[in-house]
Amino acid sequence: MNQKHKRMLTTGMIIAVTIAIFTALYFWAGQQTFIRTALSGLTLGSLFFLVAGGLTLIFGLMDVLNFAHGSMFMLGAYIGWQLYTNPTFIFGMLPQMLAFSSGVLLTSAIKPFLIRWELPERWIKLLPKVSLLLALVAFVVSFIGLDIMGLANTAMVAMTTATASNPLAEISPQEALSQYWYRPLLIFVSGALVAFSTSKPGDKSQFALQENISKKLLIPAGLFILAIIATLIRESAPEAILLMNGNWRFIIAIVVSVIFGLIFGAVIEITLIRPLYIRPTFIIIMTLGLSYVIRELVQLLWDPLAYQMARPPLFAQPGKAPDLISWLQNGNATIDIAGVTFPTYRLFVILLGILMFIFITILMTKSRLGMIIRAGVQDPQMVEALGINVKSVFTMVFALGVGMAALGGIGAGPFLPIQPMMGDQYLTQGLITVVIGGMGSYVGAFIGAMALGMARAFGDYFALKYSLSTAIAEASTVIIMVIVLLARPQGLFGKKE
Amino acid sequence: MSDANSENNLLLVEDINTFIGQFHILEGVSLNVPKGSITVMLGRNGAGKTTTLKSILGLTPPRTGKIIYDGMEIQGKRAFNIANLGIGYVPENRAIFRSLSVLENLKIAEREKGDLDKHADFIFGLFPDLERLIKLPGNHLSGGQQQMLAVARALVPENKLLLIDEPSEGLAPILIQQMMEAIRELSKATTVLLVEQNFIMASQLAERYIIIDDGKSVKSGLMKDLVQDKDLIHHYLGASIKTREELEEIYESKA
Repeated sequence: MNQKHKRMLTTGMIIAVTIAIFTALYFWAGQQTFIRTALSGLTLGSLFFLVAGGLTLIFGLMDVLNFAHGSMFMLGAYIGWQLYTNPTFIFGMLPQMLAFSSGVLLTSAIKPFLIRWELPERWIKLLPKVSLLLALVAFVVSFIGLDIMGLANTAMVAMTTATASNPLAEISPQEALSQYWYRPLLIFVSGALVAFSTSKPGDKSQFALQENISKKLLIPAGLFILAIIATLIRESAPEAILLMNGNWRFIIAIVVSVIFGLIFGAVIEITLIRPLYIRPTFIIIMTLGLSYVIRELVQLLWDPLAYQMARPPLFAQPGKAPDLISWLQNGNATIDIAGVTFPTYRLFVILLGILMFIFITILMTKSRLGMIIRAGVQDPQMVEALGINVKSVFTMVFALGVGMAALGGIGAGPFLPIQPMMGDQYLTQGLITVVIGGMGSYVGAFIGAMALGMARAFGDYFALKYSLSTAIAEASTVIIMVIVLLARPQGLFGKKE
Repeated sequence: MSDANSENNLLLVEDINTFIGQFHILEGVSLNVPKGSITVMLGRNGAGKTTTLKSILGLTPPRTGKIIYDGMEIQGKRAFNIANLGIGYVPENRAIFRSLSVLENLKIAEREKGDLDKHADFIFGLFPDLERLIKLPGNHLSGGQQQMLAVARALVPENKLLLIDEPSEGLAPILIQQMMEAIRELSKATTVLLVEQNFIMASQLAERYIIIDDGKSVKSGLMKDLVQDKDLIHHYLGASIKTREELEEIYESKA
């Protein structure tokens, strides 16, 4: 029997077993329960996929196991929720963020000139330290007296209607411009100095590109202008957003959350992970530590409480919609699917997961970036030898993975309690998913995530029905992993090493 | 080396030292590759030929020494920057991308959009098999087809210099012949630095040779002088030539 037949047989067997399991569940649980539980499973599976998809892409290309992925999921939920209910904090911090990155990019743009400086040895050693110290001082001074906690402060929204009556209730006042103006400036200087401290003036071994400098200055200049605009709209923008239609506000929250995830991922990859590629075990410890840092920072800002995010109006009206069209017209909280009452928001989460899977599939099979990623999984050195900047591809993939996790976070926001530990469970399930699906396979991640979601949902259902411990549902995913690993040690879609 | 400083060199390597981890692999390699020539690097297994190619490309950056390509110092630059200056690389293990189709394997090497279309006629003229296999995934190709794909991939962008590592390794004799023809053909437009264990192939293709031994470049010159020098061949390359008869054959063919 050759390879091809063997593979066909395996696939056939897997499909047959899957169909058999679902038929058995259908008759065991009855039609209504089956549909409800299966849809719940798909909802969970979608969230698992949003976490596992990023994990598996990152692991496949860079061999990095990102233990901070759950925290990034959680961070995505917090950012989206803040923008949706109380954007004061985000807009209060925006000028500083923009000014800092403008400073960093300014130094990076003029770096080719800096490294041509002829400096005595002593200065070359001393300058970075001095500039880092100055940067730290400027950074701290720019934040002294700024009431960050006050900006982040958001009351627990227990009722979905609480914000609907007075959306501006959450807003806390920003500092007056006359007191505030120097903060972005200082932090801009701080950013420039931080980048300077790593640019090694006089280091001739570094390669200075002979490029047109004015083009490179466009980005820092643009960011600086954006920082000024952000400074001016600190008060008005949050109000404008809160007075918007809740559905639009939710879409903005999703976009902001994903963009935050992309940028956060890129920054983490460039600053923390890139120096450690030669020491893979350090990366694991670093990401583990990072997850604690993120969690503690979130607890510091928002207290270790569980918040309830209001559902957007499209999913908020009480009552059951008889079909899809009347739901979209009235925005009901539940919908009738073949006689089963199911929350509409969960349908949206399923849609989110499926859309993301389609997006990733198109990205990987049709785009040049996907081609480079697939090639890089096998041999990054050869990809580099073809003239492709593999490091920047690594950054993009890491950013993409974290962006997906953040999307999962904000997607989960309206139906999970938002709290600092909310990502932990998804990290564990995401890791199990990656193992089941095969390291590095996004198709495997999708199928594995859906299988795990189903296992959790049906496990919960049967545990309830036969009054067993719910621990059975939680253990079911691990049991599936064990079975898969016994049959196929490389995972369902993994390639043998 | 007498012609080391001549303007005619596309590539000039001066006394590079390369470390891999703790190991001092290259302990002073110097070589030059004149424009428009085929230069072959000879030496026993483990002498440092592959590392020399990788050092030139920046994949294993040299710790000391100079590499001048097309009048520019390139040591210390990132590998992708060096490759983008117009250097193509055909590695010894072929390193085609197994999960990509033949077409994708070629497409990924494009530096500018349309590179493949521009050179498709030339590439498929050299390797007609590839055009037939264009949709097949890389892992379905035979060893010979993979080797052809690896060479073809280096021809997709506009390259001035090709670094080709052991193109004949593991190929059937008839394929070696085809590969030789292809390299001879492509060298009309491109300068080639070749690593080749098959001395017959090397001696028929290259105009110039460099012998690497124990991480040092020990001798270089014109191929037609080397084939006359039995002692030199035996001293440095003994292992790579199988029989006495083979050697005699080479001498006859060159005489």
